[in-house]
Amino acid sequence: MSRLNVNQILALILAVFSVIFLIGAYQIPAFALPRPVDSDMFPKVLGYSLLILSGMLFLEKPQERDIPDADAQAESARLPLLLRPWSRVIITAIAIAAYALLLEPLGFVLASTLLSVGLTIYYGYRRHAINLAVSLGVVLALYLTMTKFMNVHLPPGVLPI
Amino acid sequence: MDALNNLMYGFGIALSPMNIVYVFCGVFAGTIIGMLPGLGPISAIALMIPITFSMDPSSGLILMAGVYYGAVFGGSTSSILLNAPGISGTVATSFDGYPMARKGLAGKALAIAAYSSFIGGTLSVIGLMLVAPLLSKVAISFGPAEYFALMVLGLTAVVSLSDKSLIKGLISGVVGIMVSLVGIDHQTSTERFTFGSAHLLDGIDFLVVALGIFALAEVFYMLLRGGGGKEQPRSAIGSLKLSRSETRQILPVAGRSSILGFFTGVLPGAGATIGSFLGYSMEKRLAKDGDTFGQGNIKGVAAPESANNAACTGSFVPLLTLGVPGSGTTAVLLGALLVMGITPGPAMLEDRPDVFWGVIASMYLGNIFLLVLNLPLIPLIAKILELPRALLLSLILIFCMIGVYGLAFSIYDLLLLLAFGLLGLGMRLFGFPAAPMILALILGGIMEQSMRRALQISGGDWMVFIEQPISLTLLIIAVLSVAGPLVRKAVKGAQARQAG
Amino acid sequence: MSMRTPITLLAATSLTLTAGVASAFEPSESVEFIAPANPGGGWDTLVRTSSRVIQEEGLADEEFAPINTPGGGGAVAWSQIAKREGDAHTLFATSPPIILVPLTESSRYDHNDFTPIARLSTDYATVLVADDSDYEDINDLLDAMEEDPGLSVGGGSAPGSMDHIAMAGLADAAGLDASSVNYVPFSGGGDAMTNLMGGHVEAVVTGAGEAVGQIEDDDSDVRALGVSSSDRLGGSLGDVATFEEQGVDYTFDIWRGVMGPPDMPEDAVTYYQDLFKEMLETDRWAEERDKLGWIDAYQGSEEFGEFLDSQADEFSGILGELGLLDEES
Repeated sequence: MSRLNVNQILALILAVFSVIFLIGAYQIPAFALPRPVDSDMFPKVLGYSLLILSGMLFLEKPQERDIPDADAQAESARLPLLLRPWSRVIITAIAIAAYALLLEPLGFVLASTLLSVGLTIYYGYRRHAINLAVSLGVVLALYLTMTKFMNVHLPPGVLPI
Repeated sequence: MDALNNLMYGFGIALSPMNIVYVFCGVFAGTIIGMLPGLGPISAIALMIPITFSMDPSSGLILMAGVYYGAVFGGSTSSILLNAPGISGTVATSFDGYPMARKGLAGKALAIAAYSSFIGGTLSVIGLMLVAPLLSKVAISFGPAEYFALMVLGLTAVVSLSDKSLIKGLISGVVGIMVSLVGIDHQTSTERFTFGSAHLLDGIDFLVVALGIFALAEVFYMLLRGGGGKEQPRSAIGSLKLSRSETRQILPVAGRSSILGFFTGVLPGAGATIGSFLGYSMEKRLAKDGDTFGQGNIKGVAAPESANNAACTGSFVPLLTLGVPGSGTTAVLLGALLVMGITPGPAMLEDRPDVFWGVIASMYLGNIFLLVLNLPLIPLIAKILELPRALLLSLILIFCMIGVYGLAFSIYDLLLLLAFGLLGLGMRLFGFPAAPMILALILGGIMEQSMRRALQISGGDWMVFIEQPISLTLLIIAVLSVAGPLVRKAVKGAQARQAG
Repeated sequence: MSMRTPITLLAATSLTLTAGVASAFEPSESVEFIAPANPGGGWDTLVRTSSRVIQEEGLADEEFAPINTPGGGGAVAWSQIAKREGDAHTLFATSPPIILVPLTESSRYDHNDFTPIARLSTDYATVLVADDSDYEDINDLLDAMEEDPGLSVGGGSAPGSMDHIAMAGLADAAGLDASSVNYVPFSGGGDAMTNLMGGHVEAVVTGAGEAVGQIEDDDSDVRALGVSSSDRLGGSLGDVATFEEQGVDYTFDIWRGVMGPPDMPEDAVTYYQDLFKEMLETDRWAEERDKLGWIDAYQGSEEFGEFLDSQADEFSGILGELGLLDEES
């Protein structure tokens, strides 16, 4: 562990963010017509407020619950790399991003069913038939309600539904 | 008398066969969603929005109100059965509800929760019915200066929402307002923080943020802290019946807490969480057997349950009369209404009485459905909690995605959702409260716009904010509420005593 | 709820459609009808209403699928549509922002990048004051504005967009400095009118269709000082004088129409403009139109194109006066 505590590290990150935000705020152009308070005032006030608050956070003592649990970390190290808690978060995030990108080419039904079935297997559920039935059932029900009854257009994709 | 006539009119709308079906579906779906750990009314309503697109606005809102009640009640179910509150508003319920469940009295706790919710809901709908039309008459005198003052008052309540670190709560709030700035500034048509991307010109949709930092972050959090759910002992639900003396005990409690909860809910920014804690600590102090609170006292279930339902209804007052959401949930509701082409505000009572009174009547119905149909179904609904966790998590993800995609049919929004989900996870891990961010995102945006509107009208004279009596009064209350966070201390005291 | 229409009806209408027109084009797949905005707004209403009428009246064999592509006041949708060069199965709803947004903000595409199909309907701008206001006609208000440039006029859209342009154009036509109008943008026409009733602004400029509900209300708190049409409007706005009648030579159209991607094949353009013309003649449309307070104002592709050019000239003139013209475009 470094000599900085959790709050101090967070404070530094927030301070950097507020400086970047302020730089952005100073680039907001003035409006052609005179305004008593132009578009740049609120961003500037907020940027400085966050800077001050991060200073205060730097000085605040971290509470116990803010420090990540060391036991849990040791325990997770025993799991295979792909099944460790953080790996699960990262892989889920990647799956969501992939879903977003494939939604329109593959279509709603196929992409959603793939995501649901795939992640369920990955999270450790082994009864594939139930998995497929529930996932496909929910997705199809949603798709049909939306497109047929609610007139909301969802990407049909490659499936001929 | 007038109110009674209007109410009859409202029932005429709410009692159409389709609308009864919607109330029932809403309450049912809400209960299920609210029961799922991590998913509360915000997520439940957000997920319903795409479905209401093509509905008649009053039906849409009736469905939403049902979902809202259902979700709050569902939240208490998981608080009692699993000690895993679905939402912060039902945290106080778990203090005594879970101990009761462990003693095998889960059914009784659930019944008390349902009856108290019913009392809280019904009393506060009466309050809403009486207060809202009055306020709506005053509401027309709310100009930009008054709205600004009201938002300032609402944002000071953010302070009380941060039960952990005050500084972290404020940081969440400031970041929330920052997010509200993204897009075209309505006062000048100037782009702010769009980085040249056309997708950001309309700003970041509130629902993307809400679903991200609440629902998605919760899924991530569960993945990270995995396994926890399985260890919960599954106790038998037991009888749902209450004895006569028990009923006599909880009635006054529910009555008092309902009134307290309602007025907490009316204040912008307060709402179910604060209402339920206030109700709980008030009853604990009033009760002769106050020291048994926390060990399964039935009054400890009745108080927060009636208060949180009453606060939910109370938060409809500012929403329907001023168009100002008093809580994260009503903020989502506001978004839903705007999608349906209705702008809540002073004119709504006159322009759309069908919506206004239809909703009030459907709230009565929602409460009755909750009691009559939902309660007996609880043992069945609770089975959903037994669905394999892995499958449940995947399905929640799908629901989040549809909620967001259905909003604007934008892939970009899905990626933003992911970003806010990860941000929300970080906030949870490092103790930054999420509610102030959501509230600040909504209130902050209105605050900036009204302030600048007021100054545009006054020609840059800042005195407008203190010359008007309403605005001045609101600002004074705001200052007082910052100066005296005594309420928060009382709540904290109750919590600390609870933990000890 | 979309229903399949009986085949006989379909056959009959497509016959009448093609009769007399040498157009061989028929959509061969479902037509994406894009509203460049969120559900609920004016574009969305136009798209959903007209696709519903087309479907229910069986005017086309293929489905018209309403699609929302919101963002940037239309810019997101426009940039997507501009890429579908020559596509005969994409349409989108349009109105003055297609001219205003490119002039003031950073949309790379303007009306010249798309194929005009048809103008469908129009609405007019109206100026409202509180019922107990001293201003009896538009000249009273304009005189007061000249005397006190701080006089606040509320509107439902951002500066540089429709409501502001309508008011600035009016002031300009009356000989005032367009940029001296103290325009206060509210979050929508309804919001602006509420503030007018509460006495927070002196006047409000908004669409006549949006204001009609307020004005016809018996114990109404607002009244209209004039409308921007060249002839008086019908219905409850019938006794509101036009600006021209009151000596201010000024008209302003809030038109709505349909456009397609760049270089849409000519026979497809002909097909769609005739289709919409036929749609306007149905009773089903008349019903919907009256409910929405719109006024039919059909123009075919060519005429609509010329109209758009003249609108672009007019708007850039006013925006120039206001100093809001985006230098880069």
